[in-house]
Amino acid sequence: MITSESKQLSEQAGYFEVSGAHLYTVLHRVPDAWASVLLVGAFASERHSSYVPWVRWARYLAARGIECLRYDYRGIGESTGAFGEMSFDTWIEDVEVLAGWLKSRSPGAPLLLHGLELGALLAGKVFEAGMADALLGWSAPTNANEVLRAALVRRIAMDNTFRYGDQRRRLPDYISQLEKEPLEVDGYHWSARLWRDSFLLAQPDMDSGRTRPVKMLKLDKSAEPLVKGSTYVSINPDLNELFADNFEWIATSLAMQPGRH
Amino acid sequence: MVASIKTRELLTVAAGGVSLRGTHHKVQPELLARPEEMNRTGVLFLNSGFSPRAAGGDASVYWADAFAKCGYPSFRFDLPGLGDSDGELPGKVLEFAHLVNTGHYASFVSRAAKYLTDRFNLSGVVLVGHCAGAVSAIYGAAAASKQVKGLVLLDAYFFREEEVAGANIRREIILWAMRNKLAAQLTGLYGRLSKVGARVKKNELPKNANLPLIRCWNHLAAAGVPMLVLNSRAPTSREGEFDYLSYLQAQSRAGRIAVKFIERANHSFADDLGRAAVQQHTEQWLNACFPLVERDQLAFSAPLTVNHPR
Repeated sequence: MITSESKQLSEQAGYFEVSGAHLYTVLHRVPDAWASVLLVGAFASERHSSYVPWVRWARYLAARGIECLRYDYRGIGESTGAFGEMSFDTWIEDVEVLAGWLKSRSPGAPLLLHGLELGALLAGKVFEAGMADALLGWSAPTNANEVLRAALVRRIAMDNTFRYGDQRRRLPDYISQLEKEPLEVDGYHWSARLWRDSFLLAQPDMDSGRTRPVKMLKLDKSAEPLVKGSTYVSINPDLNELFADNFEWIATSLAMQPGRH
Repeated sequence: MVASIKTRELLTVAAGGVSLRGTHHKVQPELLARPEEMNRTGVLFLNSGFSPRAAGGDASVYWADAFAKCGYPSFRFDLPGLGDSDGELPGKVLEFAHLVNTGHYASFVSRAAKYLTDRFNLSGVVLVGHCAGAVSAIYGAAAASKQVKGLVLLDAYFFREEEVAGANIRREIILWAMRNKLAAQLTGLYGRLSKVGARVKKNELPKNANLPLIRCWNHLAAAGVPMLVLNSRAPTSREGEFDYLSYLQAQSRAGRIAVKFIERANHSFADDLGRAAVQQHTEQWLNACFPLVERDQLAFSAPLTVNHPR
């Protein structure tokens, strides 16, 4: 059993109003927190497989004095809104609004943006615009299309399972369809615009003139199902080593920030 | 941040030393002429396997929204260790399967059902469970017979995977096969080998049948608890596997059990076809078994064509 750290901690779930929708948020409250972290989770298809370790990570940080806010993207999970109407701009706006709100709770404490997979790109965009004191990315793709393509390839493999020869449809067939009409992938309706824009949302250039701490970490298979989307064997692995290493980086990086208590 | 918006409300239930987090999909007052006079039946969704309460593709959110629009207050809860709820969770799938298959979550389901019926003045709840959630729903219904009025079971299973010899290795092999380019051929080969195995074994209840679960099912069927069983696979595609549903139906002929097969849906029911079919079948079944007073005014998705015993 991997023990939950939530028993003595305060977790407040609520809806946060944004334009035209409500974001589902869970605030891991910490009295006199020395830092705040906005957790920007994985994209739609990966959300449910990564959820358990992602919550554990939030509890791990909260138990060590860092206030965390995690949430569902607009139109996904517990948040309201129609997924098919969303864009990467919408989801970047979610990050901006929530980061601002979290910062306003503890203006004196440094703020870290931490994204997982697609979430690392969204967090990176907001960080690049000057918000937050540090950025941590886990398994950030080169661009958002990498995430969409992986989910689409999984769907194609499922579709083709009992098909042979000419019955089998290939990736270009799906992309061609997607360019004309919405395509359902893992229960979400992708728009043509989402697919096109996915090539444009890329990792920001963090090296040029960087003055704030940034860490981009590629997680390997041992972090399943936090990444890779498979819960076929493991659902709640012991990630304490990963958590401890990253907590140490956060503590060291934010300790150097001017806003540090 | 607010805990309640026009259509939804966030809930926390204390059960067995842990806090279970959930979402209430509200019935809109304008849909009900005299809401205070209606002793309504609620719908309670359990986790689909180990997914958070929204389920894969947010299918449970979609269904809960739909049933609330029809006048059935709907609730989705995370069981201990899952989603946002407190509690412990094993590291491996098979360890989790063991907990599910031995009825570990029944008492939590029972407490959530009691809390909801008391707080929202419901006549009871219908439990909706998918895959492992269906197993917990059956155990939970047996443990809370006063509150649980019916069951909707999606791809329920009645065997104990963890008792199969080499279950961990089998899972690794299946995972490898799924990621392999030869997935289709390997699946076909497995199906053919299974058919041979089935012919050798004839039609005996397998050794890893979940007998306590089957006893719960028989008990509920004998008590006349209405059950809607939805399956993503047609009986023809089940050749080579023991047909638990036919076995259980034969054992409980007097039960109020409706079985439907949703052709071309996948196991998650998250795609358009699966979602719509589950919504339609369940709405028809709810309306037949738990009719609402003002149902003419409600937003059922399709004309009612299925007759169920009342």
